[in-house]
Amino acid sequence: MTQENRSGRPQGRPPEGDSRLSRVEAQLRGPFLLFFVSAVIWLLAASILGVVAALQQGAVAGGPFRDCEVFTFGHVASVQRNLFVYGWGFNAFFALNLWLLSQLGRFELRNGWLATLGGAVWNLALTYGVVQIFAGHQTGFGLLDFPREVGPVLAVAFLLAGFWPIVAFARRPTGHNFASQWFVVGASFAFPLTYLLAQLLVLWQPASGVVQAVAHSWFISNLLLLWVSASALAAVYYFLPKVLGRTISGYYLAPVGFWTFFLFAGWTGPAALVGGPVPLWLQSVGIVAGAMLMVPVIITAINFHGTLSSEGGWARAWNDTTLRFVSFGAIAFTLFGVLNAVFGFRGYNAVVRFTSFAAGQEQLLTYAFATMVLFGAAYFVLPRLTGSLWPSAKLVHVHFWATALGALGMLAGLLLGGWQEGKLLADSAVSLQQVVKAGSAWNFVLIISAVLLLVGHVAFALNAFGMILKSSAPASEGRHD
Amino acid sequence: MNDRNRHPDNNRNRRGPSGAGSDGPSDGRLVEVHSQLSRDKDEPAEGFSLTPILVVFLFCGFGFWAGLYITRNSADFSPSAFDLNAPKAAVAGGPVAFEPDAAKGEKLFLANCSACHQATGLGVPGAFPPLAKSPWVAGTEERMIKAILAGLAGEIEVNGAKYNGNMPNIGAGLKDAQIANIATYVRQAWGNSAEPVMDTKVAEIRKAIGNRGQYNPADLLKEHPLQAK
Repeated sequence: MTQENRSGRPQGRPPEGDSRLSRVEAQLRGPFLLFFVSAVIWLLAASILGVVAALQQGAVAGGPFRDCEVFTFGHVASVQRNLFVYGWGFNAFFALNLWLLSQLGRFELRNGWLATLGGAVWNLALTYGVVQIFAGHQTGFGLLDFPREVGPVLAVAFLLAGFWPIVAFARRPTGHNFASQWFVVGASFAFPLTYLLAQLLVLWQPASGVVQAVAHSWFISNLLLLWVSASALAAVYYFLPKVLGRTISGYYLAPVGFWTFFLFAGWTGPAALVGGPVPLWLQSVGIVAGAMLMVPVIITAINFHGTLSSEGGWARAWNDTTLRFVSFGAIAFTLFGVLNAVFGFRGYNAVVRFTSFAAGQEQLLTYAFATMVLFGAAYFVLPRLTGSLWPSAKLVHVHFWATALGALGMLAGLLLGGWQEGKLLADSAVSLQQVVKAGSAWNFVLIISAVLLLVGHVAFALNAFGMILKSSAPASEGRHD
Repeated sequence: MNDRNRHPDNNRNRRGPSGAGSDGPSDGRLVEVHSQLSRDKDEPAEGFSLTPILVVFLFCGFGFWAGLYITRNSADFSPSAFDLNAPKAAVAGGPVAFEPDAAKGEKLFLANCSACHQATGLGVPGAFPPLAKSPWVAGTEERMIKAILAGLAGEIEVNGAKYNGNMPNIGAGLKDAQIANIATYVRQAWGNSAEPVMDTKVAEIRKAIGNRGQYNPADLLKEHPLQAK
């Protein structure tokens, strides 16, 4: 398990040529690499914008680009969030979900050009949407910021690119099925439905009054839980037993976890509107759903942490690059569940309501959980698909430490900073100026974290692109560290 | 049990040159073994046997709490209640801000009073005095409230006709707001037109008269003389 330190071979696999790819993997290599490469490019763009946004938020005078209308904070922060979710998150999960269900169902992708087309359309629509936001044509609804004509295009692209896991599941050769398959299939059904309904109710035929806001909060919770988290949970359910070579402990609970997750996740949205002019019962239902989400969270905790706890699993996870990232993510998910339940309650919610806390919770889910799991998955899948090794072990280490520390710093800045800000805001003896001053230390932490994340992502991109280029150049047999 | 201890790298190095069955078997096994696990409930019994029952209890507790929380914090699912901490007045129909409601009064009247006074408010000639256009229910509301609360017994003259009244203390079993609604209805129905009655007034009189027997109509008339027409 220690080769990683020496040779940059986290998975300890000998180099193999393309001819040795299984047929399953050979078929999906093209679309997978398209999704993956575009995901990483969007991730880099989002991290650069993340640094800019952090600088702008921290600076009283406006930070960089303060005289340039196109790159004001509102544009930059919104583009950053959308690129991170739709650019990185979606492309990466298109790739991973496709790979995962093809592997589990031994599905040989035919007509892969459809997936490729979907990926191309998805990324073009995304580019158009980003340009539109920079041009000032934002809708004002978070994660639905793109002008409304982008919505249907993204939906069609999703159907082309993201529906293959369902086909792979339907065509699986045996009657058996596994937790990863349930979660991916659920996610692939849930997102397009949610997205189309949200587009309709929020942008195309805006529902009147408060219903629009309710629909928007419903969309955000579904996007983050039913698509991002469900896909990432599927990956954790796969990689833990796969890499550790043992079964999931307490696996008999997993079906309950799956159904309760899909049952309660869709109801958690209104908890974001607690304290707003939303009918009380709707707020209460959101709070209760967030608390009931503890059921699947506890079950996944028994499944994941139980599996890792037996037979020195934690030590092995630490020494394996894939599992190091994946177990980081698994812990983050448990933490998210607890925070989400506790801070839904009115008393705590009242403290953190108008602070950065909500952004911190979103980052806990989308970055510390989903993105870390995606990184771990990339370390497992890419060497198999490209048939070559990660060029540099050093960059792997830089990647892990920069992203792990960056994530922790960002979470501390947003969650602890948000809590402190909320406490001060509630104190009538403290002036707003003092509140802003007290937050400046956290802003500094956020800037450092954003830079760390950028460094980590650049290291990851260099390593990944180096490997892909090396494998696609036919005559490159030699590898150099 | 072999599967639990097998080292992962063993699977991976076993790739055949053709690629066929390279990762397939191990992924296939992963699915198969887990699928067996979820069918054989006895399998994961190693020192873990308390977990299932504890988990079941815990989750039942969650469900129970969820029901309680929603019932207590939903303001009866009213679409217009937004703020948990707002005074109950914001919640429609709350008891704090009482609005005399003749419609509610009508229902209560039909349930409690119409057996004698009739739904028409005309009473039964010779037996029960009318309320329609009766000077007893007009003017000050105190006379009427006292009659409802304590009842009447004795000779009573209404609109020129004499009755041997015996009205039980119906109001002792009704709430202040209910009596106020009944009185409001009676004072505004069948051509009557008097001021509505507030529940606070009923409470005040209930406290003042205490637990007493039926009024003699003549005594009641001394306390609250009929209004001159």
